[in-house]
Amino acid sequence: MASEQEIIKMVNEVFVESFEIDKAKLAPEANIFNDLGLDSLDIVDLVVALQKKFAVTIRDDERVRNIRTLGDLQQFILTIKKEIGK
Amino acid sequence: MRILKIACLNLLFYPLFIIFSLTTFVNLGIVVIFSSLFLSKRKVLKLLRQAIRWYGAVIIRILFFPFIRLDYKNYGANDPPGPYLFVCNHRAASDPFLMAVFPYEIIQVVNIWPFRIPALGIIAKIAGYLSVREMPYEEFSLRTRELIGQGVSIAAFPEGTRSRTGAVGNFYGAIFRTALETGAPIVPVCITGNESVPPIGSGWLRPGVIKIHRLPAITSDRYRDFSAFKLKNYVRDIIAREVQAMDQTA
Repeated sequence: MASEQEIIKMVNEVFVESFEIDKAKLAPEANIFNDLGLDSLDIVDLVVALQKKFAVTIRDDERVRNIRTLGDLQQFILTIKKEIGK
Repeated sequence: MRILKIACLNLLFYPLFIIFSLTTFVNLGIVVIFSSLFLSKRKVLKLLRQAIRWYGAVIIRILFFPFIRLDYKNYGANDPPGPYLFVCNHRAASDPFLMAVFPYEIIQVVNIWPFRIPALGIIAKIAGYLSVREMPYEEFSLRTRELIGQGVSIAAFPEGTRSRTGAVGNFYGAIFRTALETGAPIVPVCITGNESVPPIGSGWLRPGVIKIHRLPAITSDRYRDFSAFKLKNYVRDIIAREVQAMDQTA
């Protein structure tokens, strides 16, 4: 299983590869909507990209609704990966 | 002197606006009902949208005059033929009326509240304006593709709400997905000077000059390989730069 740092790096890669967002903007406290500029339709694309990157299904996970910052998302993916690894 | 001007503007504008609007809406209702007996739905809608454009033009060109003047610059003289997707920054409630400067059959993408304005909201609904927050994206996509296919241009304010600082905010991407799906030219439209027509939280109009810059169209040759996210930010940056330049020369 990938380490915590590797997973965080992979989450950031999704933002760079799918949305061409500058790496410098990818701080854990960056708000996905206000700071990174994603809207609800972009979130659908983000979920698809994350599912592909991590080979997980998160589309119907209720916890996705509570994600506001990049840090929240990184922690969510870490949790999901841990749950799968159990 | 300025207070006197503001008082004159508002005392003249609002009574005329109400009388003109009521008269127009009654006449429009009669025309729509009567013409629908003889014309196809498509022709009735075209007529109605044309009438809305005239209504808007009277408000911004006649009822605003001489206190609020328009300075419209068209940098899109060499644009390919429409229909177009007009993408505008959004500072004031008067923005939708300003779309009357464009000589095309246009519908607008609106937020929830314009549909709730008495009479005006009903007419907008009948004319096929789209309340983007009240429909799933699939329906929005279908309706916008149909409209573009019929030759109808679409005006959108992708910030979704009026800017409180004047700075161009983040864009929502629905209209840019329509662009990618249809290949319609995107026309950036920059509006400044109407921050006080009226100011947010007030109904008092202030005199001034409203500048509208229609920038050259961005054709699908330029954007077809962009993602929706990249496209919305690309157009946003173009508009933000021009708005900043317009503010500096104000």
